[in-house]
Amino acid sequence: MSASEVVEVEGHIIDSLILAKVLDVIVDAGADYRMFDVQIGHTNTDASRARIEVTAADDGTLAALVAELQIHGANRVAQVDAATAPAEVDGVLPAGFYATTNLPTQVRVGGHWVDVDNPEMDCSLVVLPDGRARTVPMHRVRAGDPVVVGRDGVRVQPLDRPRGASPFEFMSSDVSSEKPKEQLVARVAERIRAAKAAGGRVLVVCGPAVIHTGAGPAVADLVRAGVIDVLFAGNGFATHDIESNVLGTSLGVPLGDGQPPEGGHSNHLRVINEVRRRGSIAAAVADGYITGGVMFECVGHQVPFVLGGSVRDDGPLPDVFTDVVAAADAMRAELPGVTVALMLASTLHAIATGNVLPAGVETYCVDINQAVVTKLADRGSHQALGIVTDVGLFLHMLAQHLV
Amino acid sequence: MTALTWGRRFLMCPPEHFGVLYEINPWMHREVDVDLDRARAQWGELVATLVDAGATVDLLEPQPGLPDLVFTANAGTVNHGRYVASRFRHPNRQPEVDHDVAWFAGHGFEVVDLPEGTGHEGAGDALPFRGVFLSGYRSRSDAGAHGPLSALLGAPVRPIELVDPRLYHLDLTFCPLDDRRALVAPGAWDSYGRKVVEALVPEPFALETDEMLAFCANSVVVGHTVVMPVCPPRVGRQLEAWGFDVVVVTVDEFLKAGGGCRCLTLALDVAIPGAAGPPPSMGNGAAR
Repeated sequence: MSASEVVEVEGHIIDSLILAKVLDVIVDAGADYRMFDVQIGHTNTDASRARIEVTAADDGTLAALVAELQIHGANRVAQVDAATAPAEVDGVLPAGFYATTNLPTQVRVGGHWVDVDNPEMDCSLVVLPDGRARTVPMHRVRAGDPVVVGRDGVRVQPLDRPRGASPFEFMSSDVSSEKPKEQLVARVAERIRAAKAAGGRVLVVCGPAVIHTGAGPAVADLVRAGVIDVLFAGNGFATHDIESNVLGTSLGVPLGDGQPPEGGHSNHLRVINEVRRRGSIAAAVADGYITGGVMFECVGHQVPFVLGGSVRDDGPLPDVFTDVVAAADAMRAELPGVTVALMLASTLHAIATGNVLPAGVETYCVDINQAVVTKLADRGSHQALGIVTDVGLFLHMLAQHLV
Repeated sequence: MTALTWGRRFLMCPPEHFGVLYEINPWMHREVDVDLDRARAQWGELVATLVDAGATVDLLEPQPGLPDLVFTANAGTVNHGRYVASRFRHPNRQPEVDHDVAWFAGHGFEVVDLPEGTGHEGAGDALPFRGVFLSGYRSRSDAGAHGPLSALLGAPVRPIELVDPRLYHLDLTFCPLDDRRALVAPGAWDSYGRKVVEALVPEPFALETDEMLAFCANSVVVGHTVVMPVCPPRVGRQLEAWGFDVVVVTVDEFLKAGGGCRCLTLALDVAIPGAAGPPPSMGNGAAR
């Protein structure tokens, strides 16, 4: 089991090459390091300082390395347990709370580093009575919960640099339209197969364009084939999926010949109304109103879905969460076991999903618009790999590989 | 070239109680007797030579039981009238500090201390050059001392790792000659230290192994005079070509304890303005 310590080196560590030497000593010992709290002097008379977290394969290697580093002036920094303060009221964090990232995180409790159960960005860390720690969104904290405050006793681990047959390897730039799509799709299919073989769950997040581009049947095939384990979407996607099945149109436009029929603009409203009449999508399936499509397959194959609402939704469908906080919580509840996420032509739901996903989940963001992919990364989901292409084409090709 | 701005006033301690009473470096052997009369004569000649070259010498009173008090280079580090007391690694030398501190306090110096637990053996391990103190570590001084030392001296300190236990203090491996030149012993430093010195010293003269082990670098420079414990012909020719007057003062009684001319002196007039020379390049994989 790997072991780590924090050492600090200060003084004229740049000009004297002490910092370079310390890092070389760490690497030469087969250990790894992460620098943080680096303060470089502005002029060459200013002192500099760096804290370095050293991680070695085992305690013995680490102890020998730390002893050697001490010779070069890098001294062990005494580590302390994370400080906590009780939440004073429900839904309000104590001032100075530690704000999480989506990276694997550890908290020092009772002298031991414990893994945080469910990494998620922009949350707080609560220490549980049994000594474990978990991320808790602001609204779910309860008065008296011991919330981690300050940065002492918390550390995050950057994701391993991908090695071997990772799709990240053949994409030197994260987002590009200049990539051979055939090959990309084949590699994504390969990663999905590998994830499923390892027992992981596959999450898809769908925007309405999935239906508009005629890719609904491909997604339905993937659900039927057991490739997709959980679906996140909004009112629009589910509505157009059902509309296309019941009336053959998507937002009033026939998917067959593309000639808008008279009154087609109200098709989706009529569909929503009929589903509302039956009480739920599952009830509409049971009643024989919905006879195919993505939502139909989800119901039939017990693939859970979370439909998050928005302020401009028509209807909405009875299954749609109109309370956004409840929607996010429902999404969180479906995340355990998810190791691959596909964000398909969705901006708002992709970002919402990115917010609750741990950084370790392999995430592919497929959109015709490069800005969507970039935006997802800018919101902190740095693990997202962008594929700039037509989602319809992408899904047809993916289904060919996996179904 | 411009002569060094320091090296006109030295602190020295008569060898009344000098001897090899313990062994804390590879040169010391207790079975080797020191000829005290000879030591007194050699020390006296060193004083006379320094004075002849234009320096003044202040005296520290010798103390019984402290044979190495004679090596005043290790009393501490001085800059701008401030004296940073040494913290010796070996218990044998630790009692010297009280006497050193008393002298400096009594002679108008501001006395300051390094934090507890940070070992540093004074000018023996810290020599100024081009606005920077180079500071040796590993054998006697701690690398971790250089940060606090820099803060106390008000000047940058660049630590250099000493890798040859026979050359256990920086002043056995480095001798500033003027504002551009220095005798250097790269073989006594690790690769990082060599790069640091290479970047700092525009015109180094690199000593061969036998030259550095003869304590060639443990010399005292007073203006254009270089006072050396020994001067191999190759070194002498270069120094003369650079316009220095070389004076050899035999101090072999003190070599028995691992010290040469520089070790017997402490420059009291160091006043480094606080401007540092260029940092070394970060080549060969050192850059990050």
